[in-house]
Amino acid sequence: MELTVHNKGDYTIIALSGEVDLNYSPQAREQILKSLGDKCNVLIDLSAVAYIDSSGVASLVEGFQAAKSSQLEFGLVGVSNAALRVLQLARLDKVFPIHATVEECLGSDA
Amino acid sequence: MVKGIFRKNTGVVAESIASIKPADLPAPPQAALQIMRACSREDFSNKELAELAATDPVLTAELLRVVNSPFFGLSREVQSINYAVNIIGQRALRNLALCIAVRDTLREQDLGGLDTTTYWEDSLRRAVSARQLGKQAGLDVDDCFTAGLLQDFGLLVMFYLYPELAADWPALRRLDPDNRFAREEELFGITHDKVVTALAKAWSLPAELMEALGTHHQCQGVPANDQADICHILHCADWLCAIFSADDKARVLAHCHRVMQEGFGFETAQADAFFAEIPQQVESAAVALGLHIKLQTDFDQILRDANLRLAEENRSYQELTWQLEKAVRERDKYAAALNAELELAREIQQSLLPRQQPASFPLSGINISAKQLSGDFYDYFLLPDGRIYFNLADVSGKGMNAALLMAKTSSLFRCLGKKIHNPAELLSLLNAEICETSIRGMFVTMTAGIYHPATETVELINAGNLPAVLLHADGNVQTIKAQAPPLGIVPDCEFPLVKLGVKDCSLYLYTDGVTEGHVASGEELGIKGFLKMLWELRQQPPAERLQSIVSRFQTTSMPLRDDITILLIESRHGRNTKVD
Repeated sequence: MELTVHNKGDYTIIALSGEVDLNYSPQAREQILKSLGDKCNVLIDLSAVAYIDSSGVASLVEGFQAAKSSQLEFGLVGVSNAALRVLQLARLDKVFPIHATVEECLGSDA
Repeated sequence: MVKGIFRKNTGVVAESIASIKPADLPAPPQAALQIMRACSREDFSNKELAELAATDPVLTAELLRVVNSPFFGLSREVQSINYAVNIIGQRALRNLALCIAVRDTLREQDLGGLDTTTYWEDSLRRAVSARQLGKQAGLDVDDCFTAGLLQDFGLLVMFYLYPELAADWPALRRLDPDNRFAREEELFGITHDKVVTALAKAWSLPAELMEALGTHHQCQGVPANDQADICHILHCADWLCAIFSADDKARVLAHCHRVMQEGFGFETAQADAFFAEIPQQVESAAVALGLHIKLQTDFDQILRDANLRLAEENRSYQELTWQLEKAVRERDKYAAALNAELELAREIQQSLLPRQQPASFPLSGINISAKQLSGDFYDYFLLPDGRIYFNLADVSGKGMNAALLMAKTSSLFRCLGKKIHNPAELLSLLNAEICETSIRGMFVTMTAGIYHPATETVELINAGNLPAVLLHADGNVQTIKAQAPPLGIVPDCEFPLVKLGVKDCSLYLYTDGVTEGHVASGEELGIKGFLKMLWELRQQPPAERLQSIVSRFQTTSMPLRDDITILLIESRHGRNTKVD
């Protein structure tokens, strides 16, 4: 897995790529919680994710829950087919706010 | 002028050698310079030398004193410069003049208080080492001595240019030549070989000397033609000096033994005898050149220090090895204890699964964990009215945390299920509890429901799990996808109930370890592969069928990626036991 972080407006965009599994999801989790701890709205770019397992999904869930309790925004953008299939199977596509692109999310936010 | 560009922050003071102008460099005593230059010319005459000597009687007296010193070993005393040049030769006189010029050019007060005694001790070590090595190699010993004395003179010039760094000298001289050279670059931004080359140009020193001084850090090891030249002599002399000045004597000695063997064919004992002569030679040379030095440490003491250090390192190494072995033993002990605890936890976890039922019982399940502990579970139990409660679940993640949440969830399900016979209500309660207490985003995907044996129907809820598969006797497949998210994510959500008739059908609940597991082909089974497998195995009795499915994953050499759990609901009327 690779992880890149950049800021756009009030949002921190964390882009994950490759396989988000038990080995790498702690890294994703740490970054997500750090950004939320810094009081940033967080968008997770999943466009380059080839595989995500339940530990990866748990990192997203934890981010989603932490954002909610801190009254920050948390969403997923550009979700790849592989990641979307996992989210849909678990009905999590109905739980997470999902946006096609960062621009779309920021535009709708504005 | 270079002095103005000292930059404290970086420690680098000179931008390049080009920034040092001839006018920045120290000037030698003029008379010495003139004698030196005169002695370098082909058309040199005794008359000219006498005239030059007459201009500086102090220098002349000093030259004669040096020439007559025991170090240079003349058989009789020389009374005049003209006579001296006839006895020792033009070249040797030039060298002596150069040595005196070098000695007199820079004094402690010009160098920011730098300890010149230690500087000259080191320079003399190089000079006498070069002289003796030159003798071995059949080179002009006076040339070698002079080159050795001058080879690090550039460093003294650097301290003259940047006296602010004089405090760095003691640490610098305790490094071996390679590390000292690197450190010079860090401190000054330039190195002494470049500076001494600039100085040699400014002083019009002979070309061959200038080349040797400028390149002695570039030539290492044995010369290509197996003949040590002045450059290699200077390289070795530098390391021989470090035997006495550097901190890491054991390593420097090892290096010196190697270069003495490779460059001069010296065995260790021969080399040690050679090194042992250096302190005495240094003292004689210091007297000859009128340089003040301290009493020299003899080589035996150096050798004892080096051996002591080696012994200490060896002892440290042995202690380290012993500590590592002890750590490994302790790790193994803890690992064994941990494994025993994990085994106990596994047994407890297995005890949470339902006990084996008679073959006529309509529910059967299987759970194989990828590691010692499983994040999957299934359960079923009879209600007083004959209905059967069941569930199959997968906790996110793996390992101890998943196993603990699994134990909690399955216990809650069994305990609450005996009182709450509405699966939707039960899952709402479970969901609220897990949402309230779950940490690190952990959640549970679960398919649960109630089987009615009398009507052969099932009430089912799929909360985030993979689609349940209802396989009809005619091969038709119906899937029941998740209608709600997993437990532990959204506190207030609905858990819609689906009603299914399962007469003559087989209802399979399973976790993703099944569809994502690798089969013999090395590929993931996938949902299509799973359905095909179910159809192929449909005639086997349920328990045997589940075992057959699992064995497909266990025949590959690849370890299980994930826990494999399957729950099968099949009414005894609907089971096809007939073999074609």
